[in-house]
Amino acid sequence: MSKIFALAGVVIKELYRRKDFYVLFVLTALLTLGAGMVNFFHDDKIVRYVKDICLLLIWVSALVISVVTTARQIPAEREARTIFPLLAKPVSRAQVIAGKFLGCWLATGVALIVFYFFFAIVTGSKEHFWPWAAYLEAVWMHWVMLGVVIAMVLLGSIYFAAPSSTSTITIIVVGGILLLGTHLKIIALQQPEPMQFILTLFYFVMPHLEWYDLRDFVVYDMGLVPVGAVLLATVYAAAWTGIFLLLAWFGFRRKNLTT
Amino acid sequence: MTAILQTQKLRVEYRSRDFRQGNKVALNGLDLEVHAGEVFGFLGPNGAGKTTTMNVLLGFVPPSSGAASLFGIDVRQPIARQRIGYLPELTYYYKFLTAEELLRFYAKIFGLTRAETDKRIAELLKLVELEHAAKRPIKSYSKGMQQRVGLAQSLINNPDLLILDEPTSGLDPLGRMKVREIIQRLKEQGKTVFFSSHELGEVEAICDRVAILHQGDLKAIGTVAEVSAGSNNLEQAFLKIVGYQPSSVS
Amino acid sequence: MLAVLIAIVFTLSAKLALPADNWSGRAQSDNVFGMMFGDGRKLFANHFFTMADVYFHSGYYPSVFDQRATEEKEIISASHGHKDSEEDEKNEDFLGKPKDWVDAFGRNFRITQHTHLENHNEREILPWLRLAADLDPQKTEIYTVGAFFLREHLNRADQAEAFLREGLRNNPDSYEILFELGRVYHDAYHDLDRARNVWQLGLKKYVAAPADQQKEDKLIFEELAVNLARLEDEAGNYGASIDWFHAAQKVSPAPDALQKQINDIQKKMAALIPVTPGKLY
Repeated sequence: MSKIFALAGVVIKELYRRKDFYVLFVLTALLTLGAGMVNFFHDDKIVRYVKDICLLLIWVSALVISVVTTARQIPAEREARTIFPLLAKPVSRAQVIAGKFLGCWLATGVALIVFYFFFAIVTGSKEHFWPWAAYLEAVWMHWVMLGVVIAMVLLGSIYFAAPSSTSTITIIVVGGILLLGTHLKIIALQQPEPMQFILTLFYFVMPHLEWYDLRDFVVYDMGLVPVGAVLLATVYAAAWTGIFLLLAWFGFRRKNLTT
Repeated sequence: MTAILQTQKLRVEYRSRDFRQGNKVALNGLDLEVHAGEVFGFLGPNGAGKTTTMNVLLGFVPPSSGAASLFGIDVRQPIARQRIGYLPELTYYYKFLTAEELLRFYAKIFGLTRAETDKRIAELLKLVELEHAAKRPIKSYSKGMQQRVGLAQSLINNPDLLILDEPTSGLDPLGRMKVREIIQRLKEQGKTVFFSSHELGEVEAICDRVAILHQGDLKAIGTVAEVSAGSNNLEQAFLKIVGYQPSSVS
Repeated sequence: MLAVLIAIVFTLSAKLALPADNWSGRAQSDNVFGMMFGDGRKLFANHFFTMADVYFHSGYYPSVFDQRATEEKEIISASHGHKDSEEDEKNEDFLGKPKDWVDAFGRNFRITQHTHLENHNEREILPWLRLAADLDPQKTEIYTVGAFFLREHLNRADQAEAFLREGLRNNPDSYEILFELGRVYHDAYHDLDRARNVWQLGLKKYVAAPADQQKEDKLIFEELAVNLARLEDEAGNYGASIDWFHAAQKVSPAPDALQKQINDIQKKMAALIPVTPGKLY
């Protein structure tokens, strides 16, 4: 386990020594503060649109950070050939996959905490109300969802040599699931066969990442999602994460790294 | 004598990029043994299979057939690498880490305690003369400094077997001397050193035994004297073994 | 060769200069969104207007896929001769029963309660209306909806008036905006004279509108006429009030209800000295 944590530590160091996170955070902060400073009809109590915009930016930024960071882990190690002195140590390829996953996930978690803390400060300063439980629940679900995404990206990075390919494909897939996942069954029912069957099959088989988007609950102050549902969703995400990591390990373990 | 490093009928085939050529055989049934406490030179022209052999020993490439073991453990097990150190030919380390962070990271992989790690890092940075630059990121290092970091990381776990891939490649004479001194010191400590090199003069000076590989086949193995028998020196013996014919100038 | 190329370039640029000027003239707009997005801004305006509605319903809102499914259901139902009552349509839950376990579980993470913003929280829809108005100043509904909430729910009659006046600058012939402006003067400021002037102007604009547009907007005509009738009733101008109610009856789907109001006024008149009937319009 210490080897996995050691590998994760290197990933985290890399994230905070690169500029991606800072650029996205500053951008999110500037846009949120800008949105918050605009005065609509001389009413300074209006806050929901700020929450909406800020949370959208957080979701986009966190997705970019997690996907881009993860997509380059294995390919960059291969390209820079740092994978060789690493694998010459008593570490298995499974541990490398696990360490990379843990590092990316923890790094994304740190980024999420910073983003959401900023969000809480900005919106709390307007509405003088901090539903910490709701925020924590939203952060947890968001983080858990990104775990699935990171595992998916790691799997893709084993098979696609270029990080840009992995990033693009993952962002499209994840974006599609988030936007259409809830409605896929309705869309399927409106299609002729065999498309109806294919879409229905995909609807049941795909990871339902849209469950983890609790932005509406935060924006509209709808309180907490039942704890049981959150726990089940966490287990569901853990299962999908495990599946993607297992497949990534299968692909990585026999890969000839010298070509 | 105990074989620290052993290959048995080791065969590695690659799929050729040109499908008409079929599979390319990089290693053709290599039988090799390196004993404890030896300094073993692994020689051959480019494309002979030296790097492939090392890649198999280090677990980078699976063998097509045959077996390879380190300390009696199959090389496919990560634990086989617990007691080895590896220095690649070119420097491949995380540029965003400092030398100290890199060594600390590898020490954790080996499972060294904090106290052991601190002690080893201090010793190694002194040995490779990088104490002044330990807290700078590796991307700010010169080539020579990066080579020295590589040497330090290969010794972090105080290995019983050191695998060096062209250790003096790209080094100036002072650097080469330093590497030779380190190899000599390791030998005196009873460590085993297995290295590939094109510097036959160096090999002749420090190796106990050598093996010569050519086109995936083991052509010669033995002490330097045994391999050089019938030739003036190791270089001539090498050229004869690999079938070098000097071109006539008319 | 170079000289020939230069000559061709100068000739082409002289020929194309005039069409280029005309084209850029057509694209000129004093609205920055118009310059940035062109006609695409209307799509964004519609989206933001819908966002205001989403906010009003606190996130409980059908997606385009839910709306399409509902439309298809209605078409199929109508083709079979079934017509849901208005009440059923109002109460219809677009979500319906969960379609499967995925949908059922997923509803834990969606807003499934139909609520409306209240207690001054209606302010939250204003940014989207503001953005929508900036993107599509010709969409009069944005101004009337915004003004309604500002006046009725947020007690910001001054802001409602300013918003409507902005709408009028962009849509000088809009009788809907004039109607809403009249409501500000009447309901908020209790200024009967200004309200009358504005509503009468609204009716003038309506009459001047093309016939097919008038046909579509009969409801607004009725609203204007009825409100003028009530205003005149308030002012004690019973004759004018009755005239306005009669005008409204011509287009109203509930003329009997209006007749009842006419009867009430006539009773009041009977108790007073008759007043001179006012001009209609």
